[in-house]
Amino acid sequence: MSAHNHDSNNIQHLYEGDQSKLYSGIMSHHSDVKSPESKKQIKRIWRVFWILLVITVVEVSFGLAFSYTMSRAILNSIFLILTVVKAAWIVSVFMHLGDEKKSFMAMVLIPLTLFIWFIIAFLADGSFWLHMNNTHP
Amino acid sequence: MAQAQATTAQEPKVWGGGRSPFNVSYGKIMMWLFLLSDAFTFSAFLISYGTKRFFSDVWPDPNKVFHAFPFMGHADLPLVFVSLMTFILIMSSVTMVLAVHAGHYGDKKGVIKWMLWTIVGGIAFLACQAWEWTHLGHLTGGLWGTFTDPASTIQYSQYYDMAKPEVAAIINQGGTAALNPTHNFFSFFFTITGFHGFHVLSGVALNVMILVNTVNGTYERRGHYEMVEKVGLYWHFVDLVWVFVFTCFYLL
Repeated sequence: MSAHNHDSNNIQHLYEGDQSKLYSGIMSHHSDVKSPESKKQIKRIWRVFWILLVITVVEVSFGLAFSYTMSRAILNSIFLILTVVKAAWIVSVFMHLGDEKKSFMAMVLIPLTLFIWFIIAFLADGSFWLHMNNTHP
Repeated sequence: MAQAQATTAQEPKVWGGGRSPFNVSYGKIMMWLFLLSDAFTFSAFLISYGTKRFFSDVWPDPNKVFHAFPFMGHADLPLVFVSLMTFILIMSSVTMVLAVHAGHYGDKKGVIKWMLWTIVGGIAFLACQAWEWTHLGHLTGGLWGTFTDPASTIQYSQYYDMAKPEVAAIINQGGTAALNPTHNFFSFFFTITGFHGFHVLSGVALNVMILVNTVNGTYERRGHYEMVEKVGLYWHFVDLVWVFVFTCFYLL
């Protein structure tokens, strides 16, 4: 079985099995799911669940309590920041990107910076369009 | 962790060939690249929604549109149902990551248990979405394209915050001024939540396939549960997209 193979000349194990840094070598060393390191990891997963739940509850209660009283700009900024925080926790812990190599994180995250330009360009276009529509009907 | 550091120290030539430079298997890299491309597809939808919204003088108020809950009749419960849907999806993401974790330790029973819960969560989410679509379909008289007929009588007060004088002034004009933003809102809503729901549906199908393979012992014989991890990445991505859909449609 490839996961039990410690021979580095066998190319197969380079492409399959327990590759990620977080779980590296666990299966080939017969660690148990009830071991302390496993339990620590499970605890971290549940901690992130509580973080996500609390953020969602905060978002919804802000939406219910302040939709008609607080400045929309401030409220929307809070929503957007909390959304990005939630997304970061999901990608980092649930998708284990935070446990991968730095170069792999860069490969995934750098293309996403294009969104900054997309969002600014398209929303600016939308509001300019509205301006032209209202001033030059 | 000591094992991981030792491996890195032994192999200094990262890009020298004969090993995975990212320390990630081929299948996982390809899943990540697919998810990157899918992220751009979803962002194209959500950004065009934002563009239309910035283009409009008025926009439906989510607290008015989404205020119903199954079996609660006409009770005014804004955002409560979508919070439940969000909770279900986060919960199923947790059970998925626990299945991936069990897989790394070769714990077949654990993988089966957590994959089952993930599938239950996915089906529960789809059921919620089916109810919401049915409800909104009844409210608006159909799904896409309901608001294309200017002659139809639409109760705009159930979508817009008429307490705001500037909103009421535009809506009371009627015609295309009120029709267009309403039409745009619901077209984007059904398109984007539909596209996301289709992702959830395919995710459930993939999860069932993985569960069947796990029960049959395919991964046990193979020596690793990497397929659980790859499908797990897809499932978390579906949850991730929902975080943004939730913000764009229900909060902002």
